[in-house]
Amino acid sequence: MTDTPDLDALRSEVRAFLAAEAPTGWRDASRTQDDFVRTQRGWFAKLVQAGYAVPHWPATFPGGGRSLAEQKVIYEELAGADCPRLLLSFVSTYHAFATLHECASVEQQQRYLPRILEGETWCQGFSEPGAGSDLAAIKTRAERKGEVYVVNGQKVWSTMAQFADKCLLLVRTSADGPKQAGITYLLMDMKTPGVSVRPIHQIQGDEEFAEIFLDNVEIPVSERVGEEGKGWAVAQATLASERGLTLMELSYRMRGALSRVAALIRENGRQDDRGCLRDFGELVTQVDAVCAVADQFLDNRINGIERIGDASIVKNSYSRALRAYARLGLRLGGMAEQYIAPITFGDLNTGNWMADFMNSYAWTIAGGSEEVQRNIIAERMLDMPREPKAWVA
Amino acid sequence: MIELNELTDAAQKAFPADALSPGRDESWRLVAEMGWLMVRLPEEDGGLGLGREASSAIHFEMGRVLSTTPLIPAQLGLLAVLASAIPARGEWLERMAAGDYVPLHLLPTRLKTAADGAISGTVGGVFDGDMAVGVIARLPCGYVLVPLDAPGVSVVERPIWDTSRRLFDLVLEGFKPDPALILTDDAGAHALHDAISPEAHLAIAADCLGAANAALELTIEYMKMRRQFDRPIAMFQALKHRAADMKTRIAAAEALLWSRVRDETATYVQCGAAKTLAAEAFAFVTEEAIQLHGGIGLTEEHPIHRFMKRAMLNLQLCGAPDWWNEQAGRAALAACSDGTLTDAG
Repeated sequence: MTDTPDLDALRSEVRAFLAAEAPTGWRDASRTQDDFVRTQRGWFAKLVQAGYAVPHWPATFPGGGRSLAEQKVIYEELAGADCPRLLLSFVSTYHAFATLHECASVEQQQRYLPRILEGETWCQGFSEPGAGSDLAAIKTRAERKGEVYVVNGQKVWSTMAQFADKCLLLVRTSADGPKQAGITYLLMDMKTPGVSVRPIHQIQGDEEFAEIFLDNVEIPVSERVGEEGKGWAVAQATLASERGLTLMELSYRMRGALSRVAALIRENGRQDDRGCLRDFGELVTQVDAVCAVADQFLDNRINGIERIGDASIVKNSYSRALRAYARLGLRLGGMAEQYIAPITFGDLNTGNWMADFMNSYAWTIAGGSEEVQRNIIAERMLDMPREPKAWVA
Repeated sequence: MIELNELTDAAQKAFPADALSPGRDESWRLVAEMGWLMVRLPEEDGGLGLGREASSAIHFEMGRVLSTTPLIPAQLGLLAVLASAIPARGEWLERMAAGDYVPLHLLPTRLKTAADGAISGTVGGVFDGDMAVGVIARLPCGYVLVPLDAPGVSVVERPIWDTSRRLFDLVLEGFKPDPALILTDDAGAHALHDAISPEAHLAIAADCLGAANAALELTIEYMKMRRQFDRPIAMFQALKHRAADMKTRIAAAEALLWSRVRDETATYVQCGAAKTLAAEAFAFVTEEAIQLHGGIGLTEEHPIHRFMKRAMLNLQLCGAPDWWNEQAGRAALAACSDGTLTDAG
């Protein structure tokens, strides 16, 4: 799509802001989790101030009221300038926002939304050890006692939960009937007695996720979103909050990061190694195609012609390309990559190839695994029959 | 955009999906009647004056039905004459737009030139040489329109696996080019090649993806109908995941194709790479399609093999994947050192 004059003006405005304010050297400044969190908080505050942190929020908020086309311009520029991705505030500005905005009471919205812009962060308490792809199978139990719910259970794969102030929590209030029908949606303060958080040590040394243990945690009934037993519908609003922009941003970042592979080829003096050039060329084209498919998806969304399954195609295209990117870098890096070097927290394309390789699984597993996306494409887009539900062990 | 939809609708009406590989000569008449031979010819030259989106949309539909008629080489031939300054340019354009078939053969061939300028040798891989009035080929002296009735010119058919197309050798035995039919000199040949090869790549990519979509549709239809273990095999996750991957590969290649079609600044290497991705996707889809059809996929009773054979030929047209991947790698390596690669806009 070609930009209209208004979009052109916005693009120049964002570009001028980034030329002056975009952080440099943030990868080196994110070698520990604490430094990473500090960098993230600082950059988020700056974007809030400039009016680029929450372009998708309503116009009543500073920096809100932007069309999807305008949001796309902002994200293209953020990716192009190689700024840190807003990981720490991501669940807050997308998942928590969408949930509160679409499903919560006015009172809840007024209480929580402004605080997000002040830096309050949310995490998501959805997945459990026994409920990953099959999310509706959650077992964390909430019993109503007067004006509180008493919650017991365990959540896992909660992004940045160790730094979160609040949690979007899915609990089971009834074991009767279809499993979706017994789910309730609560807003939990992470400082409530009985909440404990344990970071998950990932194989590459990052700690992007945590487990949350809930031991007789009392959550006021006033913190419920929607009715009791109607939490599954609210959860859909949370999960549908974002996909297009992030994948477009990530695709463009990966395109920029191809220069890291190019640098590796040059460092190894393989500029005329035809096999190496072929592999690189194939990757470049694959990444170009991912950018094109992410771009087209957003344009379709802007024009209201998105189809079911399109988002899954974008996600699987991106995640496969990310794996290929990291695999090629690791292979070209050779023996040198087998010695441990410092990692960069919160970045997928760091040039520490062994770490990037391990981290590249993040997108084939998290956010609805590659296999779940394939089911969506096959069943909902290609209209192939579902497998029978009943199963007898 | 409305124009594009109209073209697509017209194409689907003229070439319905259930009639694969309709007769070549009848298709050619239809294609000429509908004005597709002059889709890219500017209005001031008597054509429809449409852009690459229009021609790509048509090639996509022609791929879908495994078209037998050589529309792509014909359109390229017309573009080559259009770009030239030969004396009878207007007359040739008119003839070609009306149905005289003069394909462009883009790639150079090793030929011998005698002291008197007479050229001998074989130009392989000319589409439908039997119905051609002439062939535009890269000879040692540049791109030349070789009339098939000129002395020392003949065509010989070489049977190919692809059942939807026909290839011929153009055999030259002491052929002396008519100076009035020399489109470019040797130096100008590179410019013409670089200008027209993006068109060739995008056309073949569109053909690949139209056909890949049709092959996927046939496969899914079969998987829903074929029952084993008391259920349609389309129900098995192991199989439907493969169908999902086929769809994903097609979708990514399609997105790249249309973004290149709309980007007039896309280089011929970028277009060659887009063609490679499309042809690889098409080949992948047809390979999977035969496996998913099981035994029937190996018989002539079922048409799925025809898609595979077209895919394998398409992979080789206008440069093989290894060549284009290498070129894409070289170009990106150069772009990375001057910083243009990161320009995402």
